[in-house]
Parts: sequence; C-alpha cells; structure tokens
Amino acid sequence: MPTLQRPETFLGRHFAPHHLFLTGALLIPAFLFQPNLLVRIGQVLLFAYLAKMNGKRIKWMYFLIMVSSITVFNLFTPFGQILFTVGPLSVTLGALRSGLEKGFTVVGLVFISLASIRPELRLPGRLGGLIGRVFYYFERVIEGRKRIRPRGLIESLDEVLFDLYAPGEKRADGRSVAKDTTRFGYALMGVLLSVNWVLVFLASPLPF
Amino acid sequence: MNVHEATGRTLEAPNRTELLEFVAFLGALCLFFSTLEYLFPKPFPFFRLGLANLPVLLAMKLLLPRYVLLLVLLKVLGHGLINGTLASYVFLFSFGGSFASVFTMLVMHKLAGRQISLVGLSVFGALASNVVQIYLSVTFIFGMTAWVIAPLFIGLGVFSGVLVGLFAQKFYEQSRWLEGVRAYFAAS
Repeated sequence: MPTLQRPETFLGRHFAPHHLFLTGALLIPAFLFQPNLLVRIGQVLLFAYLAKMNGKRIKWMYFLIMVSSITVFNLFTPFGQILFTVGPLSVTLGALRSGLEKGFTVVGLVFISLASIRPELRLPGRLGGLIGRVFYYFERVIEGRKRIRPRGLIESLDEVLFDLYAPGEKRADGRSVAKDTTRFGYALMGVLLSVNWVLVFLASPLPF
Repeated sequence: MNVHEATGRTLEAPNRTELLEFVAFLGALCLFFSTLEYLFPKPFPFFRLGLANLPVLLAMKLLLPRYVLLLVLLKVLGHGLINGTLASYVFLFSFGGSFASVFTMLVMHKLAGRQISLVGLSVFGALASNVVQIYLSVTFIFGMTAWVIAPLFIGLGVFSGVLVGLFAQKFYEQSRWLEGVRAYFAAS
C-alpha cells in the first residue's frame, strides 16, 4: 500500500497528527490572551522552534518583513505619546506597540499552524478521503518531476502525466498510516499547554 | 453543462467515482505546480506567480462548475495541510483569493463562452484574487493605509495572470495527454 513517505520529524515521531492539531488549537487562545508583549514575543520564538521540530523551514526574512511592514503601516494611524518624528510622520508609542503586537500575533499564529499541522492529518468524511487521494497522486507527481525538462516542457510533462493518470485505469489505495502519541508526546503536550496557559494569568501588561 | 469544443459532446462522465478521481489528480497537480513557484525569482516577498491555478484553468474547459469548485477546495485544503498553514491567516487569504478567482472565472466562462481564451480567464481570475487578498489584508492585518500598495499588486496580478494563461492555453492546445483525457470523458 503506498503511503505518504516523508522524513520523520521529532514531533511526527511523538505525536499522532490529531493530537498535535489539538495541542495547536489549545495553544491559540493562550497566545491570543497573553497580555505581555515580551512574553508574546517569547511564545513566537517557541512556536517557531516547534515548527522546525515539525520539519518546517522557517523563512526568517519573510517573517521579519511581515512584522516590520505591519508595524510601519500601523504607525500611519498615530495615537499616544510621541516618541520622535521622521519627516511628516510622528512615531507614537501607542501605534508602535499596537503594530508590534499585531505583527507578532499574525506571525505567531502562522508558527502555531506550522507546528501543529501534518500532512497525515485526516479530515473527516468523504472530503478527507479525497484529500488522501490528492496526497497519493502528489507523491507520485513529485517522483516524476525529475523527468520534466524545460526544453520540450509540454512533451515531457505529457510523458509524466501519461504514466501517472490514464483515464479508466484501476488505481491503488493511497491511505496513509498514522502513529499513536507516545508518553513523551503526552508529557510535552501537558508542559506546552500548562506553561502557555499559566503565563496568561501570571504575566501582566508592560507598564508603558 | 460543459461541452467538448471540437466534438460538441458533453464532458460529464457517467461514472462519478472516475470524475472525482480525476479531480483529485488535478488537485495533486495544483500542489505540484505550487512547489514549482519557488524556482522562480520573486520581485516582491508577497508576490506569487499563481502556477497552482494552471490545473484549475484547464478544469474550466473540462469539468462542470461543481467539480471545478471541488478542485479549488481540494487545492486550498491540500496546500494548507502540506505547508501547515491551515490554521493561520495564510489559509484565509488562500481560501478567499482562490474562491474569488474561481467564481469570477466561472461567471466569465458562462457569459463569454468561446469568446474568452484561457488567457482572459486567467487575468480575470488573478484580478479577483488580488482584489480580495488586498481587501483581507486591509481588513485583518495592515489597516486602511495598505490600499496604497493596491495598484502595484493588481498590476503584478495582471502580469502573472497573462503568463499563466498563456502557458495554460498552449498546454490546452498541444498536450496529447489532455487530448486523451478530453476524448475519454467525451466518449464515456
């Protein structure tokens, strides 16, 4: 039976896909309710690390530009104490803090998503079954991509496509096999949720 | 109901399972083409060429609208699962942009029929996708000031729409595989 064969990751080894998803879902409110900006930035770094443990590549420059651009756009709506002026623009404390909060929140949510979702996660029902078929074919297309040549692109694509999908052909089942969560996985889940939720109640907003 | 342009025969196969299998295969091609995006240099960090829309464009000429919509749903869900962005704003943008694009293309295809090429459909789809994504970014992330980047992104969207549309049109006319698929569904 063909399966989704990917390099095993640290989180993939210890978590069943639905448990990893549940952990991420429970981390989201703990992240959104966090009142302290510095703690929130720390959480973003933790989630980025977890995303790497889940086999995801973090494009730091992309996320840096994301936070910067959200903050800059926010500065155009000034409020609060004026920190300094750049030409006609007054940089205010309120707008700066609000921009940073928004930027890190957006990026943190992406990292939670990257850390908690694995391709093996099965959606329920017939739609979930169809997604399974999509992944089955995707693995096969990826295997054939080395045969695609920039010169004679359409001809080489045709060759690969003929091999992969001929209408009316009997096809194999592409279901993937998911693992169970290990004891270490459950323990890690408990620690992650406890720390992040306790911080919601312990941390206070920054004094400025 | 879609009709084969050359033969005039309906393209709806009587076997629904076979059609769903074909939609799943096209969904896999969407994911594959989105992985090829990274091979092309980006003039701006948020710019995407939209190669994943190639199978959707071809599906406009092959499948009934409900199957095209199913294909787009599989595309955005599959992309969200593979890249792990299913629970983030990226998914919201992808979902909003993709469905705005496909609804616009379906309406244009219905209204203009053979008068509109895949290049035209692609440009309309890219425009709709970009407008919705700019609206979402203004509403949820950047605020009203982000409208200043709208002309640039819409211009880039038209440019990428033309490129993807040109390739789709060429593939539609020259691919022997696609000809085989069309003939099979027409004969079923």
